[in-house]
Amino acid sequence: MGRVLLPVLASALLLAGPTQAADAPPGASSCTGCHATTRIADSVIPRIAGRKAADIVTFMREYKSGAWPSSVMGRIAKGFDDQQTDAIAAWFAAQPE
Amino acid sequence: MSTRRTFLKLAAAASLAPSVASAQGAGAGKVVVIGGGFAGATAARTLKALEPRLTVTLVEPSPVYTACPFSNSVLANLREISQQEFRYDGVKRAGVIVAETSATAVDADARTVTLADGNKLAYDRLVMSPGIDFNWAALPGYDEAAAQKMPHAWKAGAQTTLLRNQLQAMDDGGLVVMSVPPNPYRCPPGPYERASLIAYWLAIWKPKSKLLLLDAKDAFSKQRLFQNGWAELYPGRIEWVPLSKGGKVTSVDPATLTFTTEFGSHKAAVGNVIPPQRAGAIAGQAGVADRTGWCPVEPVAFESTLRPGIHVLGDAAIMGGMPKSAFAANAQAKVCAAAIVALLAGAKPQDPILINTCYSLLAADYGISVAGVYRPDKGQLTDVPGAGGVSALDSVGGLRGQEALYAASWFRTITAETFG
Repeated sequence: MGRVLLPVLASALLLAGPTQAADAPPGASSCTGCHATTRIADSVIPRIAGRKAADIVTFMREYKSGAWPSSVMGRIAKGFDDQQTDAIAAWFAAQPE
Repeated sequence: MSTRRTFLKLAAAASLAPSVASAQGAGAGKVVVIGGGFAGATAARTLKALEPRLTVTLVEPSPVYTACPFSNSVLANLREISQQEFRYDGVKRAGVIVAETSATAVDADARTVTLADGNKLAYDRLVMSPGIDFNWAALPGYDEAAAQKMPHAWKAGAQTTLLRNQLQAMDDGGLVVMSVPPNPYRCPPGPYERASLIAYWLAIWKPKSKLLLLDAKDAFSKQRLFQNGWAELYPGRIEWVPLSKGGKVTSVDPATLTFTTEFGSHKAAVGNVIPPQRAGAIAGQAGVADRTGWCPVEPVAFESTLRPGIHVLGDAAIMGGMPKSAFAANAQAKVCAAAIVALLAGAKPQDPILINTCYSLLAADYGISVAGVYRPDKGQLTDVPGAGGVSALDSVGGLRGQEALYAASWFRTITAETFG
């Protein structure tokens, strides 16, 4: 687990800046209302904790532009700029899967 | 240790270690939470996860919480009321003290909460999430006794079952009448989801019956999606009467199940009154509700603008553009918990961004949604321009069925996060 997490954590630190460490960035805590943090919930909505930050960013960018079809995520992604999205993606990537 | 606790602990350690370490003794803080719904239970659990040294007490008289989201599906016999019920075992496992009693008084100056069992709790920060109470005086003829004849079913539980039983006992061809209050009220699209799912059930079991929807407003949440869906799924079965066409109900008579409007009266076979609402009564006693009956708060930590040290969350609060929904309550609670931990450590809470997503069902396999993204602006939570909005009007690629599945998944996820 450590071998997988350490590089991701390092990139999260770089993105968020050293003073705030991996402080949950604005917006991140709302995501877990749908994207479960536990395997208890039986859900068709994917879990995003521990996913690659670059993949989360790609999904958000393509949903936001409308290039990829979505039901609700396009409407939500439009509420975040690139920097905010990067920070949220890095934070989730640093959480255990 | 469960995956969830690991997640929260790591999140907490990662995000808060520096500020907590710099504020010696912050762990001695006491937080009291009044009300164990989506806001209160989430706030209590998140506070303990972020700062285990806090003493967190949740004051909630009922051992079982009956969730409102998806309770309209109970009316349509698509779910059992037991699937709406959640206990506080997971909240207790998180290290929260659950006081199974009600709060009778808040002293904002002394920072104490008096409980019905006679105990008094001191707090450094108080979270109030009392939900709604009905403003019985606002609708002549309607009171708690009348609600046994014309159920509101706007607090889920026995009222939900009562309304379902009345529908099932109704003769085929009987008229179902619903009344909808003016804004603001709990769950803006809820009345229209309810009308949809009752129509769904009527179409199967009482095919000669119709539903009359008397509304104190001229417009409503997801209106075009609902009206398009009604025309597609239930042609001629739902009649919506807006304010301008005499939809506002001015009094009711529970003895004859009659709704009187500005333009006339309607006698129901089954009558569902969604009454005017305000913040739960304890908010008024605590001095955090204003003349509207709701609670103004600042948009970063949701601290009352009327009484410092008290944070108000969920349906009871005035949250700017954010609607009174379970999703919003849960989102606000997580932001507030992090802000309280920061404040108790002498740090400044960060400006938050919040999301809301509300699903509504028009049939078992037909879902629609509204979403929004919010941030503090000029002293209140404000919609981020260009974000949010409702489902596409053109249903392509099985979108309605997909959103019905997302709705069910959302409910399982948010109740797991809220109650553990």
